[in-house]
Amino acid sequence: MLEWIESFGIAVWLRESPSVWAHPTVLTLHTTGMAVLVGASYVLDLRLLGIGRNIPLAAYRWIFPVVAIGLTVNLLTGVMLFAKNATSWGTALPFLVKMSLVVASVATLVPLRKYVLHGVGQSEGGRVRLMAFASLLAWSGAVTAGRLLAYLVVA
Amino acid sequence: MMSAFGVNAAHLHLVLNHVPTLGAFVAVGLLLMALIRRNEALQQIGLEVLFIIALVTLPVFVTGAAARPALKNGPAFSDIAVRSHLDAAIAGFTVIELAGFAAWLALFQSSRRGRASRALVTTATLLLVVALLLMGRAATLGGEIRHPEMLTAEASTATIDPNQFLASRISEYMVNSWWAWPAAETVHFLGLSLSIGVLLAVNLRILGVMRHVPFGDVHRLLPWGMLGLGVNLVTGMLFFVGQPGQYIRNAPFHWKIIFLVIAGANFLYLTVFKKGFTDRYDPNLAEKAMAVASIASWLIVLYAGRMLPYLGNAF
Repeated sequence: MLEWIESFGIAVWLRESPSVWAHPTVLTLHTTGMAVLVGASYVLDLRLLGIGRNIPLAAYRWIFPVVAIGLTVNLLTGVMLFAKNATSWGTALPFLVKMSLVVASVATLVPLRKYVLHGVGQSEGGRVRLMAFASLLAWSGAVTAGRLLAYLVVA
Repeated sequence: MMSAFGVNAAHLHLVLNHVPTLGAFVAVGLLLMALIRRNEALQQIGLEVLFIIALVTLPVFVTGAAARPALKNGPAFSDIAVRSHLDAAIAGFTVIELAGFAAWLALFQSSRRGRASRALVTTATLLLVVALLLMGRAATLGGEIRHPEMLTAEASTATIDPNQFLASRISEYMVNSWWAWPAAETVHFLGLSLSIGVLLAVNLRILGVMRHVPFGDVHRLLPWGMLGLGVNLVTGMLFFVGQPGQYIRNAPFHWKIIFLVIAGANFLYLTVFKKGFTDRYDPNLAEKAMAVASIASWLIVLYAGRMLPYLGNAF
Protein backbone atom coordinates (compact mmCIF):
# COMPACT_ATOMS: atom_id res chain seq x y z
CA MET A 1 0.00 0.00 0.00
CA LEU A 2 2.70 2.51 1.05
CA GLU A 3 4.82 1.41 -1.90
CA TRP A 4 1.84 1.91 -4.17
CA ILE A 5 1.42 5.48 -2.91
CA GLU A 6 5.09 6.13 -3.47
CA SER A 7 4.76 5.04 -7.10
CA PHE A 8 2.24 7.79 -7.91
CA GLY A 9 3.39 10.18 -10.61
CA ILE A 10 3.42 13.14 -8.27
CA ALA A 11 5.44 11.23 -5.65
CA VAL A 12 8.03 10.24 -8.24
CA TRP A 13 8.15 13.81 -9.55
CA LEU A 14 8.73 15.22 -6.06
CA ARG A 15 11.46 12.68 -5.37
CA GLU A 16 13.29 12.92 -8.66
CA SER A 17 12.74 16.34 -10.19
CA PRO A 18 15.69 18.68 -9.69
CA SER A 19 13.39 21.67 -10.29
CA VAL A 20 12.90 24.27 -7.52
CA TRP A 21 9.20 24.07 -8.38
CA ALA A 22 9.08 20.46 -7.22
CA HIS A 23 10.02 19.47 -3.66
CA PRO A 24 11.48 22.86 -2.55
CA THR A 25 8.36 24.81 -3.51
CA VAL A 26 5.94 22.27 -2.07
CA LEU A 27 7.93 22.20 1.19
CA THR A 28 8.06 26.01 1.37
CA LEU A 29 4.29 26.23 0.74
CA HIS A 30 3.86 23.75 3.59
CA THR A 31 5.93 26.01 5.87
CA THR A 32 4.01 29.12 4.76
CA GLY A 33 0.69 27.36 5.37
CA MET A 34 1.98 26.34 8.80
CA ALA A 35 2.93 29.92 9.71
CA VAL A 36 -0.52 31.24 8.73
CA LEU A 37 -2.47 28.38 10.27
CA VAL A 38 -0.51 28.09 13.52
CA GLY A 39 0.07 31.84 13.78
CA ALA A 40 -3.64 32.65 13.49
CA SER A 41 -4.50 29.90 15.99
CA TYR A 42 -1.89 31.27 18.42
CA VAL A 43 -3.47 34.74 18.23
CA LEU A 44 -6.90 33.30 19.10
CA ASP A 45 -5.46 31.13 21.89
CA LEU A 46 -3.66 34.14 23.36
CA ARG A 47 -6.91 36.13 23.35
CA LEU A 48 -8.77 33.35 25.13
CA LEU A 49 -5.95 33.20 27.67
CA GLY A 50 -6.31 36.93 28.30
CA ILE A 51 -3.89 38.64 25.88
CA GLY A 52 -5.76 41.49 24.17
CA ARG A 53 -8.86 40.92 26.28
CA ASN A 54 -10.29 44.30 25.24
CA ILE A 55 -10.93 42.92 21.77
CA PRO A 56 -14.46 41.48 21.64
CA LEU A 57 -14.31 37.76 20.87
CA ALA A 58 -16.72 38.20 17.98
CA ALA A 59 -14.07 40.34 16.25
CA TYR A 60 -11.93 37.22 15.95
CA ARG A 61 -14.22 35.72 13.32
CA TRP A 62 -11.52 36.29 10.67
CA ILE A 63 -9.33 33.66 12.32
CA PHE A 64 -11.38 30.78 10.97
CA PRO A 65 -11.29 31.51 7.22
CA VAL A 66 -7.55 32.26 7.58
CA VAL A 67 -7.03 28.95 9.40
CA ALA A 68 -9.10 27.22 6.72
CA ILE A 69 -6.84 28.59 3.98
CA GLY A 70 -3.68 27.50 5.81
CA LEU A 71 -5.18 24.12 6.55
CA THR A 72 -6.18 23.53 2.92
CA VAL A 73 -2.72 24.46 1.64
CA ASN A 74 -1.12 22.19 4.20
CA LEU A 75 -3.44 19.25 3.58
CA LEU A 76 -2.65 19.37 -0.14
CA THR A 77 1.09 19.90 0.24
CA GLY A 78 1.20 17.51 3.21
CA VAL A 79 -0.38 14.69 1.19
CA MET A 80 2.16 15.33 -1.57
CA LEU A 81 5.10 15.31 0.86
CA PHE A 82 3.79 12.13 2.45
CA ALA A 83 3.41 10.41 -0.92
CA LYS A 84 7.04 11.24 -1.68
CA ASN A 85 8.25 9.37 1.40
CA ALA A 86 5.31 7.06 2.11
CA THR A 87 7.31 3.91 2.86
CA SER A 88 9.66 5.55 5.34
CA TRP A 89 7.15 7.91 6.97
CA GLY A 90 4.09 5.65 6.97
CA THR A 91 5.48 3.49 9.74
CA ALA A 92 7.68 6.04 11.52
CA LEU A 93 6.66 6.93 15.08
CA PRO A 94 7.57 10.65 14.82
CA PHE A 95 5.32 10.99 11.76
CA LEU A 96 2.42 9.27 13.49
CA VAL A 97 2.93 11.49 16.53
CA LYS A 98 2.89 14.55 14.29
CA MET A 99 -0.33 13.48 12.59
CA SER A 100 -2.02 12.80 15.94
CA LEU A 101 -1.00 16.25 17.16
CA VAL A 102 -2.33 17.91 13.99
CA VAL A 103 -5.66 16.08 14.41
CA ALA A 104 -5.77 17.07 18.09
CA SER A 105 -5.00 20.72 17.22
CA VAL A 106 -7.73 20.89 14.60
CA ALA A 107 -10.10 19.19 17.04
CA THR A 108 -9.56 21.98 19.60
CA LEU A 109 -10.62 24.51 16.96
CA VAL A 110 -14.12 23.01 16.69
CA PRO A 111 -15.37 23.97 20.19
CA LEU A 112 -13.33 27.21 20.09
CA ARG A 113 -15.04 28.15 16.82
CA LYS A 114 -18.48 27.47 18.30
CA TYR A 115 -17.56 29.60 21.29
CA VAL A 116 -16.29 32.54 19.22
CA LEU A 117 -18.99 32.53 16.54
CA HIS A 118 -22.06 31.60 18.53
CA GLY A 119 -21.08 32.30 22.10
CA VAL A 120 -21.77 28.65 22.93
CA GLY A 121 -20.47 27.81 26.39
CA GLN A 122 -20.09 31.48 27.29
CA SER A 123 -20.44 30.64 30.96
CA GLU A 124 -17.69 28.06 30.86
CA GLY A 125 -14.75 30.48 31.05
CA GLY A 126 -12.43 28.01 32.76
CA ARG A 127 -13.13 25.25 30.29
CA VAL A 128 -12.53 27.54 27.31
CA ARG A 129 -9.21 28.69 28.75
CA LEU A 130 -8.18 25.06 29.21
CA MET A 131 -9.15 24.33 25.60
CA ALA A 132 -7.17 27.35 24.37
CA PHE A 133 -4.16 26.16 26.36
CA ALA A 134 -4.54 22.66 24.89
CA SER A 135 -4.74 24.20 21.42
CA LEU A 136 -1.53 26.19 22.04
CA LEU A 137 0.30 23.09 23.22
CA ALA A 138 -1.02 20.82 20.47
CA TRP A 139 -0.05 23.22 17.66
CA SER A 140 3.40 23.74 19.17
CA GLY A 141 3.80 19.98 19.48
CA ALA A 142 2.72 19.48 15.88
CA VAL A 143 5.24 22.08 14.63
CA THR A 144 7.97 20.50 16.76
CA ALA A 145 7.26 16.97 15.58
CA GLY A 146 7.00 18.16 11.97
CA ARG A 147 10.31 20.03 12.06
CA LEU A 148 12.06 17.11 13.79
CA LEU A 149 10.88 14.66 11.11
CA ALA A 150 13.77 15.91 8.99
CA TYR A 151 16.20 14.68 11.64
CA LEU A 152 14.44 11.65 13.10
CA VAL A 153 13.23 9.89 9.95
CA VAL A 154 15.63 9.22 7.14
CA ALA A 155 13.65 9.55 3.93
CA MET B 1 19.18 33.28 -8.05
CA MET B 2 20.63 36.73 -8.35
CA SER B 3 22.33 38.02 -5.25
CA ALA B 4 21.04 41.22 -3.75
CA PHE B 5 24.58 42.26 -2.89
CA GLY B 6 25.93 43.49 -6.21
CA VAL B 7 29.37 44.29 -4.85
CA ASN B 8 31.34 41.74 -2.92
CA ALA B 9 30.63 41.36 0.75
CA ALA B 10 34.06 42.56 1.87
CA HIS B 11 33.44 45.85 0.08
CA LEU B 12 29.94 46.18 1.45
CA HIS B 13 31.25 45.55 4.95
CA LEU B 14 33.76 48.37 4.54
CA VAL B 15 30.97 50.67 3.40
CA LEU B 16 28.56 49.70 6.19
CA ASN B 17 30.90 49.11 9.11
CA HIS B 18 30.95 52.65 10.40
CA VAL B 19 27.17 52.88 10.65
CA PRO B 20 26.70 51.09 14.02
CA THR B 21 29.44 52.97 15.87
CA LEU B 22 28.64 56.40 14.44
CA GLY B 23 24.90 55.77 14.70
CA ALA B 24 25.20 54.60 18.31
CA PHE B 25 27.22 57.71 19.05
CA VAL B 26 24.43 59.90 17.65
CA ALA B 27 21.78 57.94 19.60
CA VAL B 28 23.74 58.36 22.86
CA GLY B 29 23.95 62.08 22.17
CA LEU B 30 20.21 62.37 21.53
CA LEU B 31 19.27 60.38 24.63
CA LEU B 32 21.64 62.32 26.89
CA MET B 33 20.40 65.61 25.52
CA ALA B 34 16.80 64.46 26.07
CA LEU B 35 17.71 63.53 29.65
CA ILE B 36 19.29 66.90 30.39
CA ARG B 37 16.57 68.94 28.71
CA ARG B 38 13.80 66.62 29.93
CA ASN B 39 12.49 66.59 26.40
CA GLU B 40 10.08 63.72 25.60
CA ALA B 41 10.09 64.29 21.84
CA LEU B 42 13.88 64.15 21.69
CA GLN B 43 13.84 61.01 23.79
CA GLN B 44 11.38 59.41 21.37
CA ILE B 45 13.67 60.21 18.43
CA GLY B 46 16.71 58.88 20.31
CA LEU B 47 14.94 55.59 21.03
CA GLU B 48 13.80 55.28 17.42
CA VAL B 49 17.33 55.92 16.14
CA LEU B 50 18.63 53.33 18.60
CA PHE B 51 16.15 50.72 17.33
CA ILE B 52 17.12 51.42 13.72
CA ILE B 53 20.84 51.14 14.56
CA ALA B 54 20.14 47.74 16.16
CA LEU B 55 18.38 46.75 12.94
CA VAL B 56 21.10 47.82 10.50
CA THR B 57 23.82 46.24 12.63
CA LEU B 58 22.46 42.92 11.36
CA PRO B 59 23.67 43.37 7.73
CA VAL B 60 26.92 44.85 9.05
CA PHE B 61 27.56 41.72 11.09
CA VAL B 62 26.57 39.38 8.28
CA THR B 63 28.66 41.08 5.58
CA GLY B 64 31.62 41.00 7.97
CA ALA B 65 31.52 37.23 8.22
CA ALA B 66 31.15 37.10 4.44
CA ALA B 67 34.30 39.18 4.01
CA ARG B 68 36.51 36.60 5.69
CA PRO B 69 36.97 34.21 2.74
CA ALA B 70 37.73 37.19 0.48
CA LEU B 71 40.64 38.12 2.76
CA LYS B 72 41.91 34.63 3.36
CA ASN B 73 44.03 34.43 0.22
CA GLY B 74 45.14 38.03 0.34
CA PRO B 75 48.52 39.30 1.47
CA ALA B 76 49.33 39.54 5.18
CA PHE B 77 46.22 37.70 6.27
CA SER B 78 46.16 37.38 10.02
CA ASP B 79 43.79 34.67 11.19
CA ILE B 80 44.11 35.79 14.79
CA ALA B 81 43.18 39.37 13.90
CA VAL B 82 40.08 38.20 12.01
CA ARG B 83 38.97 35.85 14.79
CA SER B 84 39.50 38.50 17.48
CA HIS B 85 37.47 40.96 15.40
CA LEU B 86 34.65 38.42 14.97
CA ASP B 87 34.47 37.69 18.69
CA ALA B 88 34.43 41.40 19.51
CA ALA B 89 31.72 41.88 16.86
CA ILE B 90 29.58 39.13 18.41
CA ALA B 91 29.80 40.87 21.80
CA GLY B 92 28.97 44.28 20.31
CA PHE B 93 26.14 42.85 18.20
CA THR B 94 24.59 41.07 21.18
CA VAL B 95 24.56 44.17 23.38
CA ILE B 96 23.30 46.54 20.65
CA GLU B 97 20.42 44.10 19.99
CA LEU B 98 19.61 44.09 23.72
CA ALA B 99 19.73 47.89 23.72
CA GLY B 100 17.44 47.94 20.66
CA PHE B 101 15.03 45.62 22.46
CA ALA B 102 14.96 47.86 25.55
CA ALA B 103 14.39 50.87 23.28
CA TRP B 104 11.52 49.03 21.60
CA LEU B 105 9.90 48.26 24.96
CA ALA B 106 10.18 51.94 25.91
CA LEU B 107 8.63 53.00 22.59
CA PHE B 108 5.82 50.49 23.00
CA GLN B 109 5.14 51.79 26.48
CA SER B 110 5.17 55.42 25.36
CA SER B 111 2.67 54.59 22.58
CA ARG B 112 0.31 53.03 25.08
CA ARG B 113 0.71 55.25 28.15
CA GLY B 114 1.94 58.46 26.62
CA ARG B 115 5.35 58.12 28.23
CA ALA B 116 8.04 55.51 28.73
CA SER B 117 9.17 54.54 32.21
CA ARG B 118 12.41 56.15 33.37
CA ALA B 119 13.91 52.78 34.26
CA LEU B 120 13.45 51.42 30.74
CA VAL B 121 14.93 54.47 29.04
CA THR B 122 17.88 54.41 31.45
CA THR B 123 18.41 50.68 30.77
CA ALA B 124 18.33 51.27 27.01
CA THR B 125 20.81 54.16 27.33
CA LEU B 126 23.22 52.21 29.54
CA LEU B 127 23.10 49.18 27.23
CA LEU B 128 23.71 51.51 24.31
CA VAL B 129 26.81 52.97 25.98
CA VAL B 130 28.17 49.46 26.65
CA ALA B 131 27.36 48.47 23.05
CA LEU B 132 29.16 51.56 21.77
CA LEU B 133 32.29 50.62 23.72
CA LEU B 134 32.14 46.99 22.54
CA MET B 135 31.50 48.01 18.93
CA GLY B 136 34.33 50.52 19.13
CA ARG B 137 36.60 47.69 20.24
CA ALA B 138 35.34 45.53 17.35
CA ALA B 139 36.03 48.40 14.96
CA THR B 140 39.58 48.81 16.29
CA LEU B 141 40.28 45.09 15.95
CA GLY B 142 38.71 45.19 12.49
CA GLY B 143 41.05 47.96 11.46
CA GLU B 144 44.02 45.83 12.44
CA ILE B 145 42.99 43.18 9.90
CA ARG B 146 44.01 45.35 6.97
CA HIS B 147 46.60 47.32 8.84
CA PRO B 148 48.84 44.64 10.32
CA GLU B 149 51.50 47.26 10.99
CA MET B 150 49.33 48.34 13.94
CA LEU B 151 49.34 44.88 15.50
CA THR B 152 51.43 44.35 18.59
CA ALA B 153 54.34 41.96 18.11
CA GLU B 154 52.94 39.16 20.26
CA ALA B 155 49.55 39.22 18.51
CA SER B 156 51.07 38.77 15.08
CA THR B 157 53.21 35.79 16.07
CA ALA B 158 50.88 34.00 18.52
CA THR B 159 49.75 30.51 17.63
CA ILE B 160 46.04 29.99 17.27
CA ASP B 161 43.93 27.84 19.52
CA PRO B 162 40.44 28.01 17.99
CA ASN B 163 38.91 27.10 21.36
CA GLN B 164 39.92 30.42 22.81
CA PHE B 165 37.45 32.11 20.45
CA LEU B 166 33.75 32.35 21.22
CA ALA B 167 32.70 32.02 17.57
CA SER B 168 34.62 28.74 17.23
CA ARG B 169 33.07 27.35 20.40
CA ILE B 170 29.54 28.25 19.25
CA SER B 171 30.23 26.70 15.86
CA GLU B 172 31.71 23.56 17.41
CA TYR B 173 28.63 23.13 19.59
CA MET B 174 26.06 23.85 16.88
CA VAL B 175 27.70 21.44 14.44
CA ASN B 176 28.74 18.59 16.72
CA SER B 177 25.96 18.39 19.26
CA TRP B 178 23.17 16.00 18.25
CA TRP B 179 20.44 18.23 19.62
CA ALA B 180 21.50 21.90 19.32
CA TRP B 181 20.80 22.40 15.60
CA PRO B 182 17.45 20.52 15.46
CA ALA B 183 16.30 22.20 18.70
CA ALA B 184 17.18 25.65 17.36
CA GLU B 185 15.37 24.87 14.07
CA THR B 186 12.26 23.84 16.00
CA VAL B 187 12.28 26.98 18.13
CA HIS B 188 12.89 29.02 14.96
CA PHE B 189 9.69 27.56 13.42
CA LEU B 190 7.62 28.21 16.56
CA GLY B 191 8.95 31.77 16.63
CA LEU B 192 8.11 32.43 13.00
CA SER B 193 4.55 31.16 13.46
CA LEU B 194 4.02 33.46 16.43
CA SER B 195 5.45 36.52 14.66
CA ILE B 196 3.51 35.94 11.46
CA GLY B 197 0.27 35.33 13.38
CA VAL B 198 0.60 38.60 15.31
CA LEU B 199 1.69 40.66 12.29
CA LEU B 200 -1.19 39.19 10.31
CA ALA B 201 -3.67 40.27 13.00
CA VAL B 202 -2.30 43.83 13.32
CA ASN B 203 -2.05 44.39 9.56
CA LEU B 204 -5.46 42.87 8.87
CA ARG B 205 -6.91 45.42 11.29
CA ILE B 206 -5.38 48.21 9.18
CA LEU B 207 -6.76 46.52 6.06
CA GLY B 208 -10.28 46.71 7.45
CA VAL B 209 -10.78 43.40 9.23
CA MET B 210 -11.95 43.92 12.86
CA ARG B 211 -12.91 47.44 11.76
CA HIS B 212 -14.82 48.16 14.96
CA VAL B 213 -11.97 47.17 17.25
CA PRO B 214 -9.81 50.16 18.29
CA PHE B 215 -6.32 49.89 16.79
CA GLY B 216 -4.87 50.28 20.29
CA ASP B 217 -6.42 46.98 21.38
CA VAL B 218 -4.80 45.10 18.49
CA HIS B 219 -1.54 47.00 19.07
CA ARG B 220 -1.50 45.21 22.45
CA LEU B 221 -0.45 42.02 20.62
CA LEU B 222 2.83 43.48 19.31
CA PRO B 223 5.06 42.31 22.21
CA TRP B 224 4.17 38.74 21.22
CA GLY B 225 5.31 39.44 17.70
CA MET B 226 8.51 40.87 19.18
CA LEU B 227 8.94 37.72 21.26
CA GLY B 228 8.85 35.60 18.09
CA LEU B 229 11.26 37.98 16.35
CA GLY B 230 13.67 37.98 19.30
CA VAL B 231 13.68 34.20 19.62
CA ASN B 232 14.32 33.92 15.89
CA LEU B 233 17.13 36.44 15.97
CA VAL B 234 18.88 34.38 18.65
CA THR B 235 18.35 31.00 16.96
CA GLY B 236 19.11 32.52 13.55
CA MET B 237 22.42 33.93 14.76
CA LEU B 238 23.29 30.53 16.25
CA PHE B 239 22.87 29.01 12.77
CA PHE B 240 24.83 31.81 11.16
CA VAL B 241 27.77 31.74 13.56
CA GLY B 242 27.55 27.93 13.60
CA GLN B 243 27.91 27.49 9.85
CA PRO B 244 28.63 30.88 8.24
CA GLY B 245 29.81 29.18 5.07
CA GLN B 246 26.25 28.02 4.38
CA TYR B 247 24.89 31.54 4.31
CA ILE B 248 27.44 34.10 3.26
CA ARG B 249 27.42 33.34 -0.45
CA ASN B 250 23.82 32.26 -0.50
CA ALA B 251 21.66 34.66 -2.55
CA PRO B 252 18.34 33.94 -0.77
CA PHE B 253 20.09 34.67 2.53
CA HIS B 254 21.00 38.14 1.31
CA TRP B 255 17.37 38.76 0.32
CA LYS B 256 16.26 37.40 3.66
CA ILE B 257 18.43 39.90 5.55
CA ILE B 258 17.26 42.82 3.39
CA PHE B 259 13.59 42.00 3.91
CA LEU B 260 14.19 41.35 7.60
CA VAL B 261 15.47 44.93 7.93
CA ILE B 262 12.39 46.17 6.03
CA ALA B 263 10.05 44.06 8.19
CA GLY B 264 11.84 45.34 11.31
CA ALA B 265 11.47 48.97 10.22
CA ASN B 266 7.78 48.30 9.61
CA PHE B 267 7.52 46.79 13.09
CA LEU B 268 8.83 50.08 14.49
CA TYR B 269 6.29 51.97 12.36
CA LEU B 270 3.44 49.87 13.76
CA THR B 271 4.74 50.33 17.31
CA VAL B 272 4.83 54.14 17.22
CA PHE B 273 1.77 54.49 14.95
CA LYS B 274 0.16 57.29 17.00
CA LYS B 275 -2.54 57.99 14.45
CA GLY B 276 -3.97 54.52 15.01
CA PHE B 277 -4.81 55.48 18.60
CA THR B 278 -7.15 58.30 17.61
CA ASP B 279 -10.90 57.75 17.89
CA ARG B 280 -12.58 56.21 14.85
CA TYR B 281 -9.24 55.65 13.17
CA ASP B 282 -9.89 54.91 9.52
CA PRO B 283 -6.78 53.86 7.59
CA ASN B 284 -6.05 55.63 4.31
CA LEU B 285 -4.76 54.00 1.15
CA ALA B 286 -1.07 54.60 1.94
CA GLU B 287 -1.46 52.93 5.34
CA LYS B 288 -3.21 49.99 3.73
CA ALA B 289 -0.43 49.69 1.16
CA MET B 290 2.02 49.66 4.06
CA ALA B 291 0.08 46.83 5.72
CA VAL B 292 0.21 44.77 2.52
CA ALA B 293 3.95 45.48 2.22
CA SER B 294 4.41 44.38 5.83
CA ILE B 295 2.71 41.01 5.33
CA ALA B 296 4.60 40.58 2.06
CA SER B 297 8.01 41.24 3.64
CA TRP B 298 7.39 38.72 6.42
CA LEU B 299 6.37 36.12 3.86
CA ILE B 300 9.46 36.89 1.75
CA VAL B 301 11.66 36.45 4.83
CA LEU B 302 10.02 33.07 5.42
CA TYR B 303 10.21 32.09 1.73
CA ALA B 304 13.89 33.04 1.37
CA GLY B 305 14.71 31.27 4.63
CA ARG B 306 13.01 28.02 3.73
CA MET B 307 14.48 28.13 0.21
CA LEU B 308 18.06 28.65 1.50
CA PRO B 309 19.11 25.08 0.73
CA TYR B 310 17.45 25.03 -2.69
CA LEU B 311 17.93 28.42 -4.34
CA GLY B 312 21.32 29.04 -2.84
CA ASN B 313 24.47 26.99 -3.09
CA ALA B 314 24.58 25.85 0.52
CA PHE B 315 23.78 22.82 2.67
